[in-house]
Amino acid sequence: MINKLFYILFIGAGLAACSSVSEIVVDADLVPVTGEIDSTNRIDSLIAPYRSELKEEMGTVLAQSAYDFVKDRPNGALNNWSADALLTFFKDSISGSDPIMALLNTGGLRSTINKGAVTLGDIFKLMPFDNEVVLVKLPKDRLKDIAKYISISGGEPIAGAHYDSGQFFLNEDAGGDTFWVVTSDYLFNGGDKMTFFNDPAEVIWTSVLLRDVFVYVAKKQGNLIYSDQERIKL
Amino acid sequence: MKRRDFIRTTALVTGGILVSPSLFAEGESRSRTKKITILHTNDTHSNIDPFPENHAKYPGLGGVARRYELIQQVRNEAENVLLLDAGDIFQGTPYFNRYKGILEMKLMTELGYDAATMGNHDFDIGIDGFIHAKQYAAFPFICSNYNFTDTNLDGKTEPYRIIEKGGVKVGLFGVGVELKGLVPDDKFGETVYLDPIETAQEYAALLKKKGCDLIICLSHLGYSYESDKISDLKLAEATSGIHLIIGGHTHTFLDKPTEVVNKDGITVLVNQVGWAGVNLGRIDFEIESKGIKQDALILQ
Repeated sequence: MINKLFYILFIGAGLAACSSVSEIVVDADLVPVTGEIDSTNRIDSLIAPYRSELKEEMGTVLAQSAYDFVKDRPNGALNNWSADALLTFFKDSISGSDPIMALLNTGGLRSTINKGAVTLGDIFKLMPFDNEVVLVKLPKDRLKDIAKYISISGGEPIAGAHYDSGQFFLNEDAGGDTFWVVTSDYLFNGGDKMTFFNDPAEVIWTSVLLRDVFVYVAKKQGNLIYSDQERIKL
Repeated sequence: MKRRDFIRTTALVTGGILVSPSLFAEGESRSRTKKITILHTNDTHSNIDPFPENHAKYPGLGGVARRYELIQQVRNEAENVLLLDAGDIFQGTPYFNRYKGILEMKLMTELGYDAATMGNHDFDIGIDGFIHAKQYAAFPFICSNYNFTDTNLDGKTEPYRIIEKGGVKVGLFGVGVELKGLVPDDKFGETVYLDPIETAQEYAALLKKKGCDLIICLSHLGYSYESDKISDLKLAEATSGIHLIIGGHTHTFLDKPTEVVNKDGITVLVNQVGWAGVNLGRIDFEIESKGIKQDALILQ
């Protein structure tokens, strides 16, 4: 599919100024990089040793997937899987905290999980960043800040909570004035401007990488659990 | 053509006998068409291999070796080709986690990239990590609105560059997205972010003054936002002198460049070709310099 287009741009001053005038004719194409293009060339030979080394390291099959997991806003199966994985992994696993919700960022999920075998490499593509998991205790009045954030962003991966027309709800109430959220150090440190994490009541750094959580949960599930639950209703 | 006809007519009326046909022929020959082809990518994100055939969105697309084939085909048919990238070369596949951007730089060098700008993810392994990988890049990084003076990157990027190819003088500068809140503070260190509009205007004016035929802005600001955040569309509108903005960051798939009217009422093209190297952008420019000044002298 080549889209051809023509434009004419004029630069320089007009005739009256007696300066030189240029006429620029533009032709634009979008060239898709498809499988019909031969790739047996010197570039491929250059990649080959890196590829085989990585394949050995990243080719391990962790699980199977009967579905394509795609991220989306406000909701997506990949959003739900990632947030669920995080919440399930940390629920009751760290003493001194009881996370009842997980929050990630849609932008941070970097790849789809495709139907078929799920490899270690696929999880690296999903979560290439070395983000550490952080447990954060927040005052309950921050729920309205989270609600406001989601109303603007249009949706982020959440588990253990839902959003409905401007309001954010925890699915279960742990009682008291605070609640524990499990998230990434990137978001906790102000990434994507989630300022509601500022001045938390308490923080626990887990030293666990988010990617390692995904790897563990994928393995444990064997067949990835699919949920297209509508957790965010804008 | 109409304009040339007009001049000829006027000349004949005012001083026909002074203007011999041979003089006109000379005037015509001064009107020379120069051609340049811009090939571009953005947000390749360490996608060295094509996506797998079972990929949910882009099955079997992309791949650096295939991109090389396409680039070589264009180089074989077109006279003057420039290959540019709008940033976010790093991060996205295990190639990056494992080789820390070195393979990306090596391959872009082999593909013959002429220049790139830095995206936010190019800071992901810190400034020193970027510098380490950059040793393998034979092409310049053009960053105009990041002041790296107080970082180890000082002097290792360029605020602008002029590349002359086949008689076409192409002026390049680069603008990046605000890093605070997007990249962890310790990764970009003392990098100072400068206003993209002011910076772009400054360098577009400078490049024009230096006689560039074509002024290209490599941008990692993003195509457009619902908020009032600075974007390529806003930048195009708020400045003058830029002919083309090659954008990135928002992973926007454009079928064709967007036309934006700039501050001076002149059309600017804004393009972006998605991400992961699933497309290669191609824009051909034919620049016809009409020696109007000389023609006018003949008239007198």
